[in-house]
Formats: sequence, C-alpha cells, structure tokens
Amino acid sequence: MMQELTEIQKVNMEPGVMVNKSFAPPVRRLLWPSIIFVALITQIPFLITIYYSFQDWNLMRPDKGITFAGIRNYSKILLDAAFYEVLWNTFVLTGGTLVICLVMGLFFSFLMNRDFFGKGIVRTMLVSPFFIMPAVAGIVWKTMLLNPSFGFTAYFASVFRFPLIDWLASYPLTTIMFMIAWQWIPFFMLILLAGLQSVPDDVMEAAHLDGANALQRFYNVIFPHLLKYVEVAVLLGLIFIMQTFGEIYVTTAGGPGFASTNLPYFVYRVGFQGWDVGGASAVGVIIVIITIALMTVLFKFLRKTFQGELS
Amino acid sequence: MKKLSAVLVTLFTYVVAVLYFYPVFWMLITGFKKEGDAVQMPPSLFFNPTKENYQLIWDSGVVSFFSNSAVVTLTSTLFALLLGVPAAYVLAMFKLKKAEDILFWFISTKFLPAAGIIIPIYMLFKELQLLDSLWALILLYTAMNVPLVVWMMRSFFKEVPHELLEASRVDGASDIRTFFQITLPLVRPGLISTALLSLIFAWNEFFLAVSLTATSAATMPVHMASFMTQQGLFWAKMSSVASIAVVPALLLGWFTQKQLVRGMTMGAVKG
Repeated sequence: MMQELTEIQKVNMEPGVMVNKSFAPPVRRLLWPSIIFVALITQIPFLITIYYSFQDWNLMRPDKGITFAGIRNYSKILLDAAFYEVLWNTFVLTGGTLVICLVMGLFFSFLMNRDFFGKGIVRTMLVSPFFIMPAVAGIVWKTMLLNPSFGFTAYFASVFRFPLIDWLASYPLTTIMFMIAWQWIPFFMLILLAGLQSVPDDVMEAAHLDGANALQRFYNVIFPHLLKYVEVAVLLGLIFIMQTFGEIYVTTAGGPGFASTNLPYFVYRVGFQGWDVGGASAVGVIIVIITIALMTVLFKFLRKTFQGELS
Repeated sequence: MKKLSAVLVTLFTYVVAVLYFYPVFWMLITGFKKEGDAVQMPPSLFFNPTKENYQLIWDSGVVSFFSNSAVVTLTSTLFALLLGVPAAYVLAMFKLKKAEDILFWFISTKFLPAAGIIIPIYMLFKELQLLDSLWALILLYTAMNVPLVVWMMRSFFKEVPHELLEASRVDGASDIRTFFQITLPLVRPGLISTALLSLIFAWNEFFLAVSLTATSAATMPVHMASFMTQQGLFWAKMSSVASIAVVPALLLGWFTQKQLVRGMTMGAVKG
C-alpha cells in the first residue's frame, strides 16, 4: 500500500500548488444520521428508564396497573441486603478479573515480545479465547473443565488424590472470575505487547550503553513507557468486564442465592424473571450512575491518554 | 548457554499456548466424538471420529439459528458502516469545533451498560410487535457498532496524507471522486478490519439477544444457552453446536489480528 501511495504522490504532487482551503461545508451534515440514530437507540430509552424507575409497574400484576411510585423503587432496592451483595460481587468480580488479566497479560506479552519459531500460531492460540462467545465460554468451562464427575478438574483430582471440588457450586464468583479472565487476558496481552514493541530503540540502546542491567532497563525505561498502555487496558477492561453477563447466565444463573449475581445480571433477574418494570429500571439507573461516576473520573485520564489521537 | 535458555523460554511459551488454547481445542474435537467417548474417564485424545452429532443437530434445525445470526450480524454491520464511515470521514477531515465532544459522546454511548436501557427497549418492541424479530437486534447492534466504526475509521482516515487530497482537488477532481478514487482505496484495509470486528461483536452478543428474542429470532448464543439447559448432558452433541457457533467468529478474528489492538481500543493504540 505504501508503494501505491508514493506512486500517486509522485504523479499528483507539484510543488507550489498547495491550496490551503477545506472542503465544502455541506459534507459536515454527514455527521447527523449517525448521531441521531445512536441517540435514538441509546439515549432516549435511558430517559424512559428514568421515568419507569419512578413507576409502580409489574407485568405479572396487570390488575394493579401502573401507578406513580415516587422513590419507592429506589428505597426498596437500597434497603435490600441482596443489592449490597450484588454490588460487592460486581466490585470483586471486576477488580479480581482486572488484576488477573493485568498480571497474566503482562506475562504473556513478555513471552511474545521476542522472535521464535511459530510465533504467529502461538499468538493465534493465545488470542482465540477473546473471540469465543461468552455463552460458549461458560458452557465449555462448566462442562469440560469443571464438571465434578467428567471434567478435567475431576480427572486431575482423582489422579493426584486431591479432594474433589465442585468449583462452580463452592466458589462461584472466583470460578467465574477466572473464566472471564481467560477471555480478557488476550486483550491485555495485545495492548501491552503493542506497548513493549513501541519502546524506542535508541532509548533502549542508550540504557544499554550506560550499563543498565535488564532489571534497571525494565524499571527505568520499559515500565514508564508501558504505563500509558496499562492505563488504556485497565480503563477499557474495567468498563467491559463490569458488564459481564453471558458467562454468569450459562454457568450459575447468578446463584446460589445471589452469590454470583452482578449488577447487569441483577437487572435481568428483577426485570425478566420478576417482571418488575419499575424495580429493574431503578437498578438500571443505578448502574448507569455508577458507570458515569467511574467514567468521569476515568475520562480525565482517558482524554490525556487518547490525546495523541485527538489533536 | 544463552541459546539454551532461549530455547527453554520458547518451549515454555509453547506449553503455555497449548494449555491456554486447550479448552477451545477440546471442544472442537469433542464435537466429533460419540457421546460415550465424550464423558470417558480419563479424557482421551484418541477416539473414532464420527459425523453423527453434526448430522443430528443439522436435523434438529440449527440452521435457522445460524442464519438468524448471520442475517442480524451482516445487516447490522452494513448499517453501522453506512452510518459510521461518513461521520468518521467528517470528523477526521474537517476541523470542527465540537469534534472532541462528539467523539467522546460516541464512546460514552458504547460504555453505557445495556442494562440501563433494556427495559424500555423491551417494552417498546413489545408495543411494536418487534419482540423476537430480527429487526429488533439489527437496530440495536447497529447502534452498538456505530461508535466503534466512527472511532476506528476516523483513525484510519487521519492517516491519509492531506497533500494527496489537495493534489487531487487541484487536478480538478470533485470531492466525491476524490473520496472514492483516492481516500477509499487507501483506507480499505482499515475498512475491512473495522467490518470484521463489528461482525465479531455482533455475532457474539448475548445480553440483548437473550432479553429480546425467544425462539423464532434466537441467535446462536441464545440457542447455545437453551441447548445447554435442555440437552446439557449430551456433551458431544453440545460441543458440535458450540463449534458451529464459535468457528465463524474465530475465523474472522484470526483474519483481523493485525488491526485487533486498534479495534479493541477504539483506535487509541495502533499496535
């Protein structure tokens, strides 16, 4: 492509005929369809969610109709012990997964940041779990790996005479954490690998010449450079991992009790199992408020991080 | 000595990669096992492969779920490109006062959890009789992927050398001609990987699909979940359905590896 590009440049570039005028303004209207469409699908419904959250409305009780509830939906949720369990689960699940992903992603990116035979295939194998749909990832883990009678863990437990553990039943949240990490480590690996590969050669060389050993080079050159990439990975990972749903749906359905229910799954339970429109909307509003709060804090960093892209 | 340690690290890397990929690999081969072999203890790599499972699930109508997924995925990606590419073009090529705000607005819609809008969307589609219809998912997936297209394509458009466009103008080409003959061919690789990523995300989406479809518009992920509850004990059969569900996204993902980082970070990291 570069070849092609320079060819065109050669043909078309004549010195001294640079016109510094921008294109005709009507083109800018091309922005509007996308903005209007996205606003219509994502923003308006949210406003309606807010409205619903103040209504007493249960689809299972059509006889009761729809009445104004005031803040009753909110007070009910905020007084419900299950809600705090769910909140804590979301925090643990997201935070724990992020830590695992960061450590393992860093580890993988170091393994991949060298030349060796078959690198392409290894990379493909390591990246693959990211493309497995959450529903299937959950199923594969639940059956083939963790099934207490026929799964791999059962097999290893019997070979090494470990006590047999039904992981999903005994440690649902931790198990799901590793399941999600399996899918998201590739994401971290690729971003961090991009960071490692963009460490400027001349700086590394200078460090070499100054007699810095491997550890010093890592601490003083690579690490500061990598921080920006860590930031991007953690920010995006945080937002996406917080929304985990499919893995929970197919493995534990949020149970036992609420032990593995996170916020998105809570909305599903209240809305589509309890058919409580008002209550589910209120939880939805709370999730969005938490996300916005996180985003405003993070966007300050994000804007800085994405700056290169935004100038 | 140094060479030896390099070989050892490489071997170690192979082991890590094999272990990491193992669940996927195991699923793919279990799809070709007989039910008895699938739950054999100890798990065995050696067995007589059979097409029986694929025959069975083919007869049970997996095709309709697969085609639902295909229609929804392809259509929504096409729409997302039609809406997103022009916007990305404008944002990349012109100095707009609000450009930064618009971009961050787009990214924030992608970050907002779907759980925050699912209830009214459900009620609205119920009212419009669009529940369990492909259109419901097409609309939502389009909206889900427009921000991705805008951000990614903008980063590709920005790499087109400005001098080139000006030269083309000076040569008397119209804006439209410049776009189709110079800009578009230059960003084509980017356009392709943007489309592939959009396809992957739509193909794998689960939350909206499971909330808004039941049987007639169910996509592969939804079918997987209900298959699991109904016939979860038939591992071999389930593995073959799961393989069918997973392979398209895997293949697309392998093709798009080069631009993957840029896509996943909305263009922030070039990779």
